[in-house]
Amino acid sequence: MHNLSAIEIRDKFLNGELSALSICQTFLDRIAQHDKEVGAFLSVFTERAIAKAKELDAKRARGETLGKLAAIPVAIKDNIHVKGEITTCASKFLTNYKAPFDSTLTTLLESEDAIILGKTNLDEFAMGSSTENSGLQTTRNPWNLKCVPGGSSGGSAAAVAAKFCPIAFGSDTGGSVRLPAAFCGIAGFKPTYGRVSRFGLVAYGSSLDQIGTFAATAEDIGLIMEVIGRHCRHDATSLPGGPEKYLEVPHDIRGMKIGVPKEFLKTLAPEPKKVFDNALERLKQMGATLVDIDLNLLKYSIATYYILATAEASTNLARFDGIRYGQRSKRATNLHEVYNFSKEEGYGKEVKRRILLGTYVLSAGYQNAYYKKAQKVRTLIIESYKKAFKECDLIASPVSPFAAFEIGAIKDPIQMYLEDIYTIPINLAGLPAISIPDGFSHDGKPMGLQLIGPQKGDVKVISAATAFQKANPEFTAIPKTFKD
Amino acid sequence: MANIDKETIKNLTELCRIDCTEEEQISLLHDLQKILKYVDQLEEVDTEHVKPCNHILDANIDATREDFVGNIMPRDVFLSNAPSHTGGMIKVPPIMK
Amino acid sequence: MSIYDNWEAVIGLEIHAELNTKSKLFSSAPNRFGDEPNTNINEVCTGQPGSLPVLNKEAIKKAVQFGCAIDGNVAHFSKFDRKSYFYPDSPRNFQITQYDQPIILGGSVIAEINGEEKSFAVNRVHLEDDAGMLKHFSTFAGVDYNRAGVPLIEIVSEACMHTPEDAIAYASAIKAILQYTDVSDCNMEEGSLRVDANISVRLKGETGLRNKSEIKNMNSFSNMGLALHAEIKRQIHEYVNHPNKAMHEVVPQATYRFDPDLGSLVLMRKKEQADDYRYFPEPDLTPIILTDAYIQEIKDQLPELPLQRERRYVKELGLSTHNAFILTSDKKLADYFEEVLKKAPFAKTVCNWIIVEFAGRFKDSGSSLLQSGISALHLAKLINMIENGTINGKIAKTVADEMIKNPAKDPELIVKENPDFSPMNDVSEISALVDKVVLENPQSIVDFKAGRDKAFAFLVGQVMKLSRGKASPTIVNELLLKKIQE
Repeated sequence: MHNLSAIEIRDKFLNGELSALSICQTFLDRIAQHDKEVGAFLSVFTERAIAKAKELDAKRARGETLGKLAAIPVAIKDNIHVKGEITTCASKFLTNYKAPFDSTLTTLLESEDAIILGKTNLDEFAMGSSTENSGLQTTRNPWNLKCVPGGSSGGSAAAVAAKFCPIAFGSDTGGSVRLPAAFCGIAGFKPTYGRVSRFGLVAYGSSLDQIGTFAATAEDIGLIMEVIGRHCRHDATSLPGGPEKYLEVPHDIRGMKIGVPKEFLKTLAPEPKKVFDNALERLKQMGATLVDIDLNLLKYSIATYYILATAEASTNLARFDGIRYGQRSKRATNLHEVYNFSKEEGYGKEVKRRILLGTYVLSAGYQNAYYKKAQKVRTLIIESYKKAFKECDLIASPVSPFAAFEIGAIKDPIQMYLEDIYTIPINLAGLPAISIPDGFSHDGKPMGLQLIGPQKGDVKVISAATAFQKANPEFTAIPKTFKD
Repeated sequence: MANIDKETIKNLTELCRIDCTEEEQISLLHDLQKILKYVDQLEEVDTEHVKPCNHILDANIDATREDFVGNIMPRDVFLSNAPSHTGGMIKVPPIMK
Repeated sequence: MSIYDNWEAVIGLEIHAELNTKSKLFSSAPNRFGDEPNTNINEVCTGQPGSLPVLNKEAIKKAVQFGCAIDGNVAHFSKFDRKSYFYPDSPRNFQITQYDQPIILGGSVIAEINGEEKSFAVNRVHLEDDAGMLKHFSTFAGVDYNRAGVPLIEIVSEACMHTPEDAIAYASAIKAILQYTDVSDCNMEEGSLRVDANISVRLKGETGLRNKSEIKNMNSFSNMGLALHAEIKRQIHEYVNHPNKAMHEVVPQATYRFDPDLGSLVLMRKKEQADDYRYFPEPDLTPIILTDAYIQEIKDQLPELPLQRERRYVKELGLSTHNAFILTSDKKLADYFEEVLKKAPFAKTVCNWIIVEFAGRFKDSGSSLLQSGISALHLAKLINMIENGTINGKIAKTVADEMIKNPAKDPELIVKENPDFSPMNDVSEISALVDKVVLENPQSIVDFKAGRDKAFAFLVGQVMKLSRGKASPTIVNELLLKKIQE
């Protein structure tokens, strides 16, 4: 059962083949048995999930209408609120913080009868690309337990890869859904900026964040987007309208023009290049035409991103001061110490690093050179993409310059940042993009193909990804250890 | 371009209200120097006639709301997360007036 | 010639007015004063992680209404910025305000100084959210976030005032406009209107600006006057007493608060460096984009403004500029005035009774005619009794005192019930008194006939005394003159 897609599970529940309770119990048992090796979950809502499952079975028995996501078990990254449950953001600061309100994501999922199994691990406050910055626990890649699952939504990606649930949610600010999806051999989608509500997502980079969805298939993600991809009145950056139709559209890329930024991808190492070129071949075989496009400006993306994201983050995280919530330092004897000690004790190294950097680039005398400059380069990056999309329907690129690396292997922060070179530019431009598995490294670790659409081209992206997966089923695999 | 030193780091930690040990400050100085050197590459980009991107969405979306009172957070819910509270207020150490 | 004569003050005011919307600026929590702590809150105004601001469109409307009322330029495009600073009353440790692209630029108000109209320039008006409230105790401080997120407009004047009187006149004019446009409750005691002053001094004729002091916490216009006078004196003394010290060192930039109990300024902090607020555009909000049509509609729907009302009173009712300004500076007072006028159409008399007679009677108690419960109808009745001769001016004053003691009581009833209040109009009765006085004061008559007018007034006074103030002065004068000349 655990290898079924979300759509299949729901349909089997609706037609009576499976009970919600048995579905829920199956996945809870798998978590109980196997998560000690993976470490995907920070908290599991056993009672809550079972109660919901029983309720769904009763509803079905009474013949009531059931939601679009009925009985689908889902996991949520622990920087997204479920009211009454703890939201830690994987930080020591918030280990006792109970979410006082539901995120819009949670509200929508529950109203469509999904079953929330628990919260998953992440890099602290979503700052990182490997989940190693979690202040609470380590998550391992189900494909190779010595390796990282990618980050910052590593817990959610690992949970889906290990078949602990068919659907999981993460947040993507610079690649935090797409990268772990690629490392874990599953699909991971970041919507157009504003397509999914950020209300209840603990903010990191406000103009970059989006809630993303993990699943084995892009098709499952389409189902989810039909529920969550809509306007939210609690989020002023939310796009009007929605949700759009993702499932009933033709999944056909014949005649599609797929842009490839050859010059920008020049530095790709031989192994990922081989996998990527092979994926491009498959796209051609499916009837698409490849077009060379100029995205050379993207080489400045990482610098631009790290200025803008940290600037926004430095103010977004200012509120964690131990005054209204969170862990207040027990050593503090005056107000100054409440702030300074609470933050010192609560934050991990990467978070401190980014807050300091963000404060610096906004400070008097430096704002023009750094923050304002980065804002301008961002405009140019957006224009680059606009120009490219005049010549193609979608853009293809690898997700990462390499496959999952061993835990502890990358110590240099800059080296870690450089990992995001292919994912970051998409957040700067607010574009929709998906990572789907397109091959393996020589040592059996998954790699991902990234398909990028123009703003509001979410349906096109998911549709093309669905077509690719259906035409190339061998890439969508399950790690041996978690198959049964 | 910018030369940051120990003094800069010290001032920054004060601005952000994060206490850092001597060791941490040295390590952070080292990291920030590297990162700032890396981001200096933006100087190569000609942005003279470029407008800064303040909003990536179409600015013409009306994202305002009507003036009505919505859900209030009950006080006990608010205070249940508070490290210290008294008389319905959040409690902090005394502040010199 | 005092040392002050060579100096002038340069004053700018920053006025924060809370908008009287139903809900807060960026959250739908209630915008109310005086409730139990932390009962008017939600996730946005307590800075919960995951919360997002959403702009209240009524706040935009009120800001634009005010901007139009001061003839300011309403920006077609304005935006919000984050202003970072740490303080417990700030739920996010950054305020959402408008830094470089505010909603209103420029504008002016006309106030009254010594019976003349004077124009003061406004630099800008912008929207921002208020902080919570700190309550200080000896061993701790308590934070109440009810006020956090309340919409504010910050009204920044040009540094165009030169005396405390200028400042008070300007602030009164701003307050009146806020009140007339129903944009704010303007209640200084409740904090819905707050005034901060920036003040420096310089020698007359000097063109540059010297270091300024910032004064906060002036909770009434009269205290503001006191504070400004005190600071002007202090700064001048500093310069005069340190003629050889560099100017910028004599008066360092500093912030003071006015302590009403001490009646003087208390240093809060020295501003060695400017605070680095690290302003940058608020990414969670879209800019405010206003059309010409929207702005014009608001302009067209503006109510009668204080200046228009004041000029109407001068032109149509013949009031002096000074008195018209006093009446119209508080909308409720002017409304009351016009209510009285409906029944007692004697503009100058009504005006006098409101702003001189009754105002004088309430001065010490701190209350006012509006708060007293004396209805406009009753005041009209009092005035009508004077105008139609039922009572004379002297009696009227006593009746007024009675009305203050019993605000609900009809003055006609007061007069009826008290025989002393009924004027003596009976000529024969007065004649008898006149005869008596003339008989008893022969010397005064001699003095008067010798040309001393004061003697006549003395005689009139004696008659009034005998009549216990009830005799009609006109009749007394007439009869007395006649009797003396007999």
